[in-house]
Amino acid sequence: MMSVLVTGATNPVGERLVRSLVADTRVSHVLAVGKEAHEAAMPFANSARFTYKRVDLTKSRQVRELLFGAARDLSVEVVVHLAQHRDARGRGRKVHAANVEALRSIMDLSDRHPTIRRVVVRSYAVVYRVSMDLPVLVTEDHPMNLDPSAPQYVRDRVEADLVACTRMGLTNAEIVVLRCAEALGPGMGSQLFDYLHAPLALRPAGFDPMVNVATVGDLVSAFEAATHGSGEGVFNIPGHDTLPLTEACRKWGTPSIPMPGPLVAPLYGLRHRLTGSEFTYGLNRRTMHFGLVLDGSRARQVLGYVPKHPIDWPVGGPVAVVAA
Amino acid sequence: MPFPPRVARALSSLVGGPAVRDRAGRLHFADAGHGYDRFGMHPDFVALGDTLGSPVHDRYFRVKSYGVENIPATGPGILAANHSGSIPVDGAMLWTDVLRNTHPPRTARPVADHFVTALPIVSTLFARCGVVGGSRGNAKALLEAGELLMIFPEGVPGVGKLFRDRYQLQDWRVGHCELAIRYSAPVVPVGIVGAEEQMPQIGRIPLPSGWAVPYLPVTLTLFPLPVRYHIHYGEPLRFDQEYTPDDADDPDTVAEAAARVKAAVQALLEKGLALREGVFA
Repeated sequence: MMSVLVTGATNPVGERLVRSLVADTRVSHVLAVGKEAHEAAMPFANSARFTYKRVDLTKSRQVRELLFGAARDLSVEVVVHLAQHRDARGRGRKVHAANVEALRSIMDLSDRHPTIRRVVVRSYAVVYRVSMDLPVLVTEDHPMNLDPSAPQYVRDRVEADLVACTRMGLTNAEIVVLRCAEALGPGMGSQLFDYLHAPLALRPAGFDPMVNVATVGDLVSAFEAATHGSGEGVFNIPGHDTLPLTEACRKWGTPSIPMPGPLVAPLYGLRHRLTGSEFTYGLNRRTMHFGLVLDGSRARQVLGYVPKHPIDWPVGGPVAVVAA
Repeated sequence: MPFPPRVARALSSLVGGPAVRDRAGRLHFADAGHGYDRFGMHPDFVALGDTLGSPVHDRYFRVKSYGVENIPATGPGILAANHSGSIPVDGAMLWTDVLRNTHPPRTARPVADHFVTALPIVSTLFARCGVVGGSRGNAKALLEAGELLMIFPEGVPGVGKLFRDRYQLQDWRVGHCELAIRYSAPVVPVGIVGAEEQMPQIGRIPLPSGWAVPYLPVTLTLFPLPVRYHIHYGEPLRFDQEYTPDDADDPDTVAEAAARVKAAVQALLEKGLALREGVFA
């Protein structure tokens, strides 16, 4: 029996993970942390095995009080860090503090914490560099996107990933980094979800890259596996669905229109200004040319993670056949 | 894609006929869940490629193949061939030849130069037919999945060789042997006779970096001539029986293995040239 601290507990993955951990008989207590006063919305709020705390992780004082207060009192052994700023256009010091500095504080404090023995960090496929001379099928040793001109959304995620990775083997706590495929769903900060949700999907003419998408259910299973596992490392967490971009549009029921590449960015910029949409072509330009599919072999071998939840496509429906 | 798989299926059924559909139905194929493999290959597009390639293979270039029994029926393998012809039609003919002469049919996975993956439309159509970008990671994943790679160790300089250099192998890259040793894949040397005369190249205009292709060939003809292709498959070189996977880290071992593959391809070319009765015969 162990206690688990989950940050970002009010985002879709966090909420499902907390729900699952509360129901898990191997877990004695779940300490859920969120920025919002969201406790009442959680159906298990009254469970004796559940505590919700509203904490601003960008404030190091609050993080310290969380870890050396409630977390120590509950003998938390595993921290699952899911909190990230979700807006792809978010910029500035506060966003960086939420994306990177919060994790840095958690890492620093976990090293000298009396009960924490494992930190599981959510990372993203967007940390990988996409280029014509790199493999489509991405393993954990794939080059990272260290382009200084990349949007802060990417730079922060790469930095957070590196903050975790560079501490592996050097701290008392085991560190696990899960580089997750994009999960299609509302409130996830998913670029592809917003792209598919538009009445029309524009794509660079002549390209139809392979994409891999996950469901919240699969990501939750991966975090559960990492919570209960042992050892540390970096793991790709692919989703069940691997398909070309046009096929994803078709299954979503969104007409896709090929356009000359230079026109796509300004049109999506205009859409953002008019509707406040999240999709940023600049962030996805290379992926929309060359594709990116996470190779989950390592997660399968070490964590026993296999994606089992296909997307329930509005038009195509879920796929029954599991990948070969 | 300009058109979905069902259109490719309809076209291949209509034009290619039952033999093409039968081959597509028996294709070794690792479906990633939506009818495509992880690299984007789709059997209906392979059938379409078969439909388009077979008439060219049978009637235009009148391809004769020798030693097809040397192509591994299953498991990982590497076809290492000479490259030539100003435009890479030899790759398409070898791909078609392997598809038609293996039972059950195998799709050779051509490993293309990086710039190919950046070409609009071409990159997508090629990917649907099994072509992958020339990165170590792609090759590794395919060999681990038991696929048959098609590699031209001469690379672009092979396609761009001048007519006076025909049948003289250019700088021979060694990466295919490193892969063969590391992943215990037999290397089948392939000598393609005929392609080197299909479109005599007398010069080339280099293009600045950033263009879609590295150069423009200056050729005596606008289209490939209807030369006869002779594709000779040599006996597989089993480096895994001589070396351990760790030997792939030794540059001398890899270079020596690559030299043996090059010599085997050169020998097949010389044999093919000696056997043929004329460029068009």
